[in-house]
Amino acid sequence: MLERIRNTYPIVMHGVSMSIASTAPLDFDYLRALKSLASRFQPAWISDHLCWTGVHGVNLHDLLPVPYTLEALDHVVDRIRRVQDFLGRRLAIENVSSYVTFAESEMDEWTFIRELAERADCWLLLDVNNVFGSSFNHSFDQASFIGAVPADRVVQLHLAGHSEAGTHKIDTHDQPICEEVWSLYHEVCPRFGSISTMIERDDNFPPFDELMAELDRARAVAACARIPAQGAAA
Amino acid sequence: MKLAELQMRFQAGIVEDDNAILASIADSRRTDRATLFEVYHDAYRLRLAEFLSNDFPVLRVHIGEEAFGRLVEDYIESAPSRQPNARWYGTRLPDFMQETAPWRRNRSAIDLARFERALSDAFDAPDAPISTIDALREICDEDWPRLAFEFHPSVRILDLENGTAQIYAALAEEEEAPATQQGEEAFIFWRTDGQSFYRPVADDERMAMMEARRGKIFGDICALLVFQRNDTGVTQRVAGFLSQWFADGLVTRLSLSD
Repeated sequence: MLERIRNTYPIVMHGVSMSIASTAPLDFDYLRALKSLASRFQPAWISDHLCWTGVHGVNLHDLLPVPYTLEALDHVVDRIRRVQDFLGRRLAIENVSSYVTFAESEMDEWTFIRELAERADCWLLLDVNNVFGSSFNHSFDQASFIGAVPADRVVQLHLAGHSEAGTHKIDTHDQPICEEVWSLYHEVCPRFGSISTMIERDDNFPPFDELMAELDRARAVAACARIPAQGAAA
Repeated sequence: MKLAELQMRFQAGIVEDDNAILASIADSRRTDRATLFEVYHDAYRLRLAEFLSNDFPVLRVHIGEEAFGRLVEDYIESAPSRQPNARWYGTRLPDFMQETAPWRRNRSAIDLARFERALSDAFDAPDAPISTIDALREICDEDWPRLAFEFHPSVRILDLENGTAQIYAALAEEEEAPATQQGEEAFIFWRTDGQSFYRPVADDERMAMMEARRGKIFGDICALLVFQRNDTGVTQRVAGFLSQWFADGLVTRLSLSD
């Protein structure tokens, strides 16, 4: 099926298992399989998240947060470089929604991401919902985040819905995109130019027409920002 | 604190309920650190429970929500996930049930779990090109005794309590499940055109297939069947197996043993 899709459309590969920020050794079995798949399907890029998924052989099946320390920055930069060397291509690294702030952190999330992108020479994937969710959860200014992201490194924007827990917002991809995220998307589009947008929906699926309406709205917002629409829904 | 130590504590907080990690987390403006950390703690269990519910939907109906919930909890607590791919997390569930009280006393539940696992495993097995029955026609008569078979990687053979497949079929159709009966029956599972299939196999076909998968040549398999059946109907039976194996898409390669 993927071959048939690839024959008609460009594709990108978006992963959750690279565990790029883990202190566990890089999983070269996984990377070999990823490289082989990429060689077969020639994605426009491969993306994964700025997170870790487990240590000591355990997998927690979650995008776990990173403390924004110099040690963590050095560690992640080194790992991204090694993975890029192995895959023979740049990675796109995505910001995650996080729910805890580490006392150990020495810098803001956006400073960490900017430094990481420059030093590892990687691309970035900006998840607008994650900026919104994390800004609420950690009470930071969204504009500071967006303004710090190096625009020339961002290859894709993500939009998604989240769950409300009252005191925090959880990135569940099972709700419609909320108005605040649409508004933020409207603000960020002009900054990042003509790049693609992906709507993420993993569960609690509405009728297809409702998903298409979100895609049409994303296209309209992008068009308002004088950006040729290249959107896709997933 | 070093990153490695912090990640170890974070993981222990999720898997072992060890709250040492809370010393490294700040309260937010709206709530306390324990509530925030719970998002990760609870998400881990919810995700694993979801993986198991997706992989064993009929077992869930068969033993009921409450018992399935206890089974899932026991399984999650027994060992953390070590698989990056969620698909493989539940693969040990039937073995866990077989080894652990009170589940080990429930043969029908264990066999239903094995049944569902076999369907999933068949679905996820590697691809391989299928051989057609035309390949048999190319074998000279004198070469038949040293004919060897290779089977599609999706093929599995299971011995199940009598009635397991009927329970599966009834519950999958949201009908009332019949009771299992004493004794066992053999089933094969395989995948064709992206879909998993199963069918019962009689004792002689089961033995022929088991021996063929072990690499035994056609002449030896026939000799075993003659010995087992103690009659002369073996030729017809074997012709029936072979044509069914090719019709089902079970055989990937024929070769002649030296």
